[in-house]
Amino acid sequence: MTEIAIRTEGLVKDYGRTRGLDGLDLEVHTGEVYGLLGPNGAGKTTTIRLILDLIRPTAGSLKVLGLDPRSDGLGLRNRVGYLAGDFLVDSRQTPRELLTYLANLRGGAGMGRVDELAERLELDLTRRIKGLSRGNRQKVGVIQAFMHDPELLILDEPTSGLDPFLQHEFSTMVRQAVAEGRTVFMSSHVMSEVQRSADRVGIVRAGRLVTVEDVDDLRQRARRRIEIVFDNPVPAGEFQVIPGVSELSIDGTLLRCRLDGRADHLIKAAARHGVAMISAEEPDLEELFFDYYDRAEDDADAPQ
Amino acid sequence: MLRNSFTKWLWDYRRSMITWVLSVAGVGAMYAAFWPTMDNPAMRELLENYPDELLEALNYTDIASPAGYLNATVYGLVVGLLTVVYSVSAGARSIAGDEEAGTLDLVLAHPLSRVKLGLQRFAAFLVSAAAISIVLLVFLLLLSGPARLEGISMSSYLAQHLHLFLFAALFGAVGFGVGAATGRRGLAIGVGAGFAVFGFAANGILSQIDGLEWVEGFSPFNWLNGGSPLQNGIQTGDVLVMAGLTVVLVSLGLWAFSRRDIAV
Repeated sequence: MTEIAIRTEGLVKDYGRTRGLDGLDLEVHTGEVYGLLGPNGAGKTTTIRLILDLIRPTAGSLKVLGLDPRSDGLGLRNRVGYLAGDFLVDSRQTPRELLTYLANLRGGAGMGRVDELAERLELDLTRRIKGLSRGNRQKVGVIQAFMHDPELLILDEPTSGLDPFLQHEFSTMVRQAVAEGRTVFMSSHVMSEVQRSADRVGIVRAGRLVTVEDVDDLRQRARRRIEIVFDNPVPAGEFQVIPGVSELSIDGTLLRCRLDGRADHLIKAAARHGVAMISAEEPDLEELFFDYYDRAEDDADAPQ
Repeated sequence: MLRNSFTKWLWDYRRSMITWVLSVAGVGAMYAAFWPTMDNPAMRELLENYPDELLEALNYTDIASPAGYLNATVYGLVVGLLTVVYSVSAGARSIAGDEEAGTLDLVLAHPLSRVKLGLQRFAAFLVSAAAISIVLLVFLLLLSGPARLEGISMSSYLAQHLHLFLFAALFGAVGFGVGAATGRRGLAIGVGAGFAVFGFAANGILSQIDGLEWVEGFSPFNWLNGGSPLQNGIQTGDVLVMAGLTVVLVSLGLWAFSRRDIAV
């Protein structure tokens, strides 16, 4: 049986008259990277702030690492690292001052790793945060979230504002954490951020979970753009009938199409001719996300 | 200084606190130093020609002695008002200010209870409130010779400065309590300012209206030095009211704080 790091059942959060979460059912397994994906306002940050006990649920249940954030908040937050998308702190202090204080709130846990992580991320710990660029500030946030090797990392749109070098370093750190058996729960509104690190993706919309997908499955099922260059011109009719093929165009010896799902039929059809070159683009999962999103929209708009 | 939220708060606001302590104590000492210029027959005659109601409103009723002068101008006016301004805003920023800046989330995402965080920050504020009281006392003692502040005993000074400390604590508690309960710094400052304006008016002006004398009893400015601790020593009732209200306001603020949502 899979161990559960985060489980919500029918989680509801109202802010006055507006509803932030509308019966969210979520299951994050221990040791996985779970990406919570959705447009702004879908309830991602609300979910995270409920986990951290910054806000309290209106209804439903929430268990994190087997604990109730409300009644076991201290014990729970001892085992959690949190990084907000826009990492806000009093900017008159230096990163070292802030990190020392935050480590002391955990009884000093993580202080030993500050220098190592700062070096890895190329952050100067002695300059006032005021004088740091947005990316460098975010590094401070990354360090405080990772330094005490928490069992559960809660990352709210973590790579917004990070440059490509840092995004890559960050993904490596996330993968390392998971390799050590930790759990990572991250939110994002862009698939590309999630697909880089996540094992599973939950798509939320209007405070509800629309679907949960395995990222590898998604990748296999996703539509790809295929280009095949043949030795000689090929007839279009032969390829139009292949299951999964759409947007077919043939220009002399160059075939372009989109492929949904398995490549088997297309490859076998192509193999009947001389193939000079074949290229398949890495699938854009973003499109899938919009597919789901549109479908959910249709469902929601459908008359009851 | 980074060991816990108490010392961290002192460290983060060290400049603001030191500036305020020196300003409040400095302006208070400056006013005290004017005593020799007030202490002459011409000035006394001038004041005698003022209507009693005006003198009452300004708390200048007993301005002929050093203690009366300090009561009216230093404690009852400049130090009192500046202390209110500092205490209310320092109290309000402890929780509400931090929350509105968006910087409270990070600390609360750590294993630290809201009540503990609030108490540690309020304790840090109390240190600055005590510093105002102590530094002003030191300034006044240094001035007592040059400014001819005669006839005030050390124990009277200590009594008055205990009142001053509790007065600061009370206004800090208003800003802190309202801010912690609501997360709104502006509201916390508004309530504190409103309470101060009411208290100031109730002490000198409203209490002169026939049938409204009793409102004086509800004025923090009256608790500060209405009973003239500088002449009569500690006024137990006033001390208990200020300390009691402080405890109640901080407790209610923390109670509400630990139950509500933290604003984004």
